[in-house]
Amino acid sequence: MRIRIDHIAKIEGHASFTADIVRGDIKAAKIKIEEGARLFEGIMRDRKDVEIAELGSRICGVCSVVHTFAGFKALEDAYRIKVEEPALSLRKLMMLGQLINSHSLHLFFFSLSDFFGFKSDLELINAYPEKTHDAIKIRDVGNKIVEIIGGRTVHPLTPCIGGLRQAPDSEKLKKLFDDCRNILPLSIKLAELFANLNYPDFIRKTHFVSLTSYSEYAIYGGKLKVNGMELEPKEFLSRIKEFQAKDKVAKRTHFEDKSYMVGALARLNNNRDRLNLEAGKLLEKSRLRFPCYNPFYNILAQAIEIIHCLEESIKILEKIITQPIKVGEASIAERNGQGVGAIEAPRGTLFYDIKVKNGITESVNIITPTAQNLANLEDDLEEFEKLGGFKDLNQKEREDKIKMLIRAYDPCVTCSVH
Amino acid sequence: MSIFDLGERFLEFLTKVNVGDFRLAEDLPDVDKYDIAIVEGTPITKQNVKRLKEVRKKSKILVTIGACATMGGVQEIKDYRGDKKKLIRTIYPNIRGIDNPNIKSVKEIVKVDLEIPGCPINKEEFFRLINQVLKGTIPEIPQNPVCDECIRRNKNCLILLGKPCLGAISLAGCGAPCPAAGFLCDGCRGPRKGINLEAMKSALKIKARLSEDEIKNLLERFGKLNELYANKN
Repeated sequence: MRIRIDHIAKIEGHASFTADIVRGDIKAAKIKIEEGARLFEGIMRDRKDVEIAELGSRICGVCSVVHTFAGFKALEDAYRIKVEEPALSLRKLMMLGQLINSHSLHLFFFSLSDFFGFKSDLELINAYPEKTHDAIKIRDVGNKIVEIIGGRTVHPLTPCIGGLRQAPDSEKLKKLFDDCRNILPLSIKLAELFANLNYPDFIRKTHFVSLTSYSEYAIYGGKLKVNGMELEPKEFLSRIKEFQAKDKVAKRTHFEDKSYMVGALARLNNNRDRLNLEAGKLLEKSRLRFPCYNPFYNILAQAIEIIHCLEESIKILEKIITQPIKVGEASIAERNGQGVGAIEAPRGTLFYDIKVKNGITESVNIITPTAQNLANLEDDLEEFEKLGGFKDLNQKEREDKIKMLIRAYDPCVTCSVH
Repeated sequence: MSIFDLGERFLEFLTKVNVGDFRLAEDLPDVDKYDIAIVEGTPITKQNVKRLKEVRKKSKILVTIGACATMGGVQEIKDYRGDKKKLIRTIYPNIRGIDNPNIKSVKEIVKVDLEIPGCPINKEEFFRLINQVLKGTIPEIPQNPVCDECIRRNKNCLILLGKPCLGAISLAGCGAPCPAAGFLCDGCRGPRKGINLEAMKSALKIKARLSEDEIKNLLERFGKLNELYANKN
């Protein structure tokens, strides 16, 4: 029997899925990315260094903040430039805003309908009007953080090599501080809703990869944590294998010949002891036990991260609003070198590996979270017959569960083809 | 994404319309006819082009949103380079089965009734224009330069400060957020009609001291090079 899903809705971009079921066993599970080549890594070449970030932002409208920062971080790594406070905290705030807006979109508008069998968000909105408004209010706060510091909600304008070119309005930051505090209880309520849902029973052991840091729940920077090791981003990149199967426009990656998972669930598996108070409390109350090898719980992990991000935003804002903010561009002596920028995008670790000569880009390699997760997702789907109750499901129900798993990964197909 | 960013207003908007096919928010079969089709992104694969032609046939009004649909987007730079067949080989070891055609904007493939430009689009403008379309009129975006909106927000003109900016030749309607953040207008909304491109180029060369290559790179952004030469006096 063949399973074929031509268009997987409610993900960013276009993808389809095929697999065979041979005597109850899933074979040849393949996700096909239905996008054409944009050749971003090619068009950045022979242009000014900063265009890595400015063009890179256009890879995706959902996560333009992370592409911008991954580009600038790679340049700063190449030029040995350190971003100082308060620019560093302001950049971190923008990242928190990015995670809040992306997660709340995915959780509520892409994933929740799957638990109730709704085929359209309009049904969901009608059934849960109050929760819909809560989700939108949370998302709005994420957007506001990015807009106030970055100059607009999509494709931020203020980031530059060395920090930010312009300081945000301090009155607006004060208002933002209040907004974050007011919205925190709503984010806890939203996460409680997700903690009480019934998640499909599916377990497959894998490796979790994310940034890690001793001082905080790593989003903006740190080392790569994998299999109990902590590696510098450059070393991690040298140990993964990026490969492209025939006829595939999106590449996949392996670490030591095996697929691995990145994203919210990977971060919780690696760094949950560094979550902020309320996020930690909710995690404690939830059914999540670690290590957690059920990828469907990536959804709950995102809900918990929203709480964490709001708490973290409150912490940073509280410090920042009491002092005058001075930021500016770095002076760069020599625009030569090779650098890596690694950052935790909403969907997992994003890498920019670049080489620049006299301020002109020579090469760029971008490894997106979705490109890394694709191999892991296909390996999950290959063993999908292990899903609790799989035998008793009819074809349609099986397809729905497959779509639900794909959506749980929150793939950004647009990003995976860049 | 900007449409989702309308938040509460987006929800209210949904109560006024019947949504036919919106993959980002629903998993339902397509419908037979549309009053209004909103198209975003660049049609690259054969499937994209086929779908676009189908949608045009089914729709009374077709609106494009964003720089990709309206001008081709930054990916059009690969065509300007003139080496995209070589370029793809440096990125993909296996190029069979990967569509890599010349980038075309939507209007080069089907008739477009309204273009809402920008990267990103201005959600306020989108909301205003789409509501006018709902009421049965096809609005026109006034052909003013970004400078008109910039002088209301900024004390300083980037060009006068000796920095590059394309505000003078670019279509207003964004509210000039870029110069307000100290970032040049890089013309994501495309050129307005009747521009003097040579005057812009010499300002970039003399005032902002950009090289020929730097000017060319700037004019290539968002796939606007073709549009610039089409919109000259």
